[in-house]
Amino acid sequence: MFKKKLAMFGALLLSSGIALAEYPEKPITILVGYKAGGGTDVMARNVAPFIEKHLGNGASVVIKNMPGASGMIAVTEVSKSDPDGYTLGTFNLPGMMARTLDRPTEIGADSFTYLANFVDDPNVIVTSKKSGIKSLKQFVEAAKETPRAITVGMSSLGGDDHIALTKFSALADAEYTIVPFKGSAPARAAIMGGHVAAGILNISEVVKFRDELNVLGVATAERSSFAPDLATLKEQGFNIVNGSMRGVVAPAGLPKNVEAKLLAAMEKVGKDPEFLKKMKETGNPTSISVGDDFQTLNGEQLEIAKKIWESTPWK
Amino acid sequence: MYEMLIMALPGVLQPENFLAIVFGVLAGICVGAMPGLSATMAISVLIPFTFGLDPLVALGLMAGIYNGAMYGGAIPAVLLKIPGTPAAVATTFDGFPMAQQGRGGEALQVAVVSSAIGGIASALSLMLLAPPLAQVTLLFGPAEMFWIAVVGLLSIVFLLGGNLLKGLVAACFGILVSLVGTDTVNGTDRFTFGFYELLDGIHIVVLLVGLYAMPPVVDLLQTQLDTTQFKYNKDQTKSIWVAIPKMFRFWKTWIKSSLIGIWIGILPGAGGSMAAFLSYNEAKRNSKNPDDWGKGEPEGVAAAETSNNADTAAALIPALTLGIPGTAVAAIMLGGLLIHGLQPGPMLFRESPDIVFGFMWQFLFGAILLIFLGGSLATNSFAQLLKLPRPLLGSLIVVLMFIGVYSINERMFDVYLMLIFGAIGIAFDKLKFPLPPVVLGLILGSFAEENLRLALTIGLGDWGILTKSNTSLVLISLVVLVVMTPLIKKVRNS
Repeated sequence: MFKKKLAMFGALLLSSGIALAEYPEKPITILVGYKAGGGTDVMARNVAPFIEKHLGNGASVVIKNMPGASGMIAVTEVSKSDPDGYTLGTFNLPGMMARTLDRPTEIGADSFTYLANFVDDPNVIVTSKKSGIKSLKQFVEAAKETPRAITVGMSSLGGDDHIALTKFSALADAEYTIVPFKGSAPARAAIMGGHVAAGILNISEVVKFRDELNVLGVATAERSSFAPDLATLKEQGFNIVNGSMRGVVAPAGLPKNVEAKLLAAMEKVGKDPEFLKKMKETGNPTSISVGDDFQTLNGEQLEIAKKIWESTPWK
Repeated sequence: MYEMLIMALPGVLQPENFLAIVFGVLAGICVGAMPGLSATMAISVLIPFTFGLDPLVALGLMAGIYNGAMYGGAIPAVLLKIPGTPAAVATTFDGFPMAQQGRGGEALQVAVVSSAIGGIASALSLMLLAPPLAQVTLLFGPAEMFWIAVVGLLSIVFLLGGNLLKGLVAACFGILVSLVGTDTVNGTDRFTFGFYELLDGIHIVVLLVGLYAMPPVVDLLQTQLDTTQFKYNKDQTKSIWVAIPKMFRFWKTWIKSSLIGIWIGILPGAGGSMAAFLSYNEAKRNSKNPDDWGKGEPEGVAAAETSNNADTAAALIPALTLGIPGTAVAAIMLGGLLIHGLQPGPMLFRESPDIVFGFMWQFLFGAILLIFLGGSLATNSFAQLLKLPRPLLGSLIVVLMFIGVYSINERMFDVYLMLIFGAIGIAFDKLKFPLPPVVLGLILGSFAEENLRLALTIGLGDWGILTKSNTSLVLISLVVLVVMTPLIKKVRNS
């Protein structure tokens, strides 16, 4: 047993030692789980040139879109690829971990090396102007008066917005009817048209539409720099911090020197003012957590999703 | 609302974006000129290749091809009595007799100028009608969207003409395909047979390439084209700039046919060939010398060609504002927009005005360019296309189909799937089942299902939600009207 392990370790050391003498010596591919142009894609394309810059050594990063199954096809591919640092992938929270609960998957929390989370797009609770609901208090009261009478549009089930609403329902002790649209754009249109009374969206999706929606609260610990005039849910008595997070992972079991190089580069990307500026310009609220912090964050998100799945399975 | 239109103009005029239109129009004319190849096929083969392009370059290509192909179809229609595209059937009525009289060049000139005018009218209608329509689309919630999808599906079955039962079967096949994949409301896997590649459903481009490109390619390889009666005498043809002033006498036909084309374009389901037939009949009815029609009356060519180009941009009005394509080509273009992350609907006009309005300009420029590219430069060279070796062309298209479909998700699974749809397409073609209902069935089937279920969720399970708003009631009466049309026609005829 010990011999076998030793042999494997030796082989690993040997192969990685030769192949990765000068990491990176060939292009690095980032697999994006969604179509070009979406939020996750934009994040990857923003990050790529800065990874090149901070890895140095003439590194080149290629983006490859592999959309499908809510990003699961790409992330499964990443987990199965050689852990040599040449295949990375985008990672969405809480979506990716929630998917491991609601269907049989080939991945789990330990399938990846967690490099860095870059985006945290907090949830907002909004209502339609036509609904007459202008405050969080009214939003809770209306649902208490007639349970499930208030319809809440969102982009999908098992995503960050669903988790946000589940948390809110529990804290407010109120029942809502969930209306899962196919993506946030149609959900937002339905809220604006008054076809659903309310909705859970992300802050980046509502900043341009402030005049046509009532924004009741933002699910952040402190006010978002994106819209500092908007009150948080916490201020209004509902301690909910929730959002859609997007980062970059590698397969589990990266060679130590490669992992160290990548983490160092990610650390620098996260502090690069040019990068932060570009993210802001493209409407991405940033929240950087690198390496172990990212892994801890993932664990937390999985725990929350598990609790919600056990009490209110969405499928 | 319209100032955005002006602001989008500089982007369109950038060299690479403008070149895309020029190239698109040229390619479109070539495609249209090849009997069997249509705009639908060309754009569906092209779309996978536009992933990496700038949106305006990609859309410019598509707009150019669409406009070009609608004219290109007239070339073999006039010279060989073989319509290059289905929409050019009515062009053969008077175009071919003209060619036999040695006036083929004149017929093509009338065709190109009329096509351009129809295209310009269509682009203008898109520019003027889409933005205000987009503003009222917020009125359409899930219940209303469900009815729109029903109207669209039924109108393609009931208004397309031909065998009603076959149309219904084709639409149902499309709906069946739309059921494959994870259902969007509660995430159950349907008809995936354990293939994770099917979890997201079947990509529209995979279906389109198989269905629309395979049968014509097989046909291309199967049949020999007789080009011996090919007559095109360049010497007898005057310069187009001399010929144009003489065409102004068609102005009434141009206006009427444009309006018919635009109307048919907006209606879901009908499409270019129906527009051309209607306009031809209308122009003939109003003519002072209806007896000359069918014997080489240039006005007949003008009517047909104006109208089949007038439905191009107009078909995008419901596509851009509601996400409901009016024709199969519009459906494919919708796919092209989605690839670039442009979600049709009211928000499109606010979130990417530069691209949406740029796209409209591209349609306008594409139409104008027709006169220069199709008319004054190269009609003669395009006519030579008919002499291309067909096996070469056929195999080239097959290669493009494989590469294109593979590149959507970079997996062979899609290519196999495309081949299956290709076989189905060939069977449909041989058995004379119409293809457009399949495409609309795939798009509108899932659309209808999703919106019906959303509406029922909102209504807490009460089906009454479907008749609650006035918009819904209007749409329901439209449904009744569409379904009754064949009956009304029958009563009228007897």
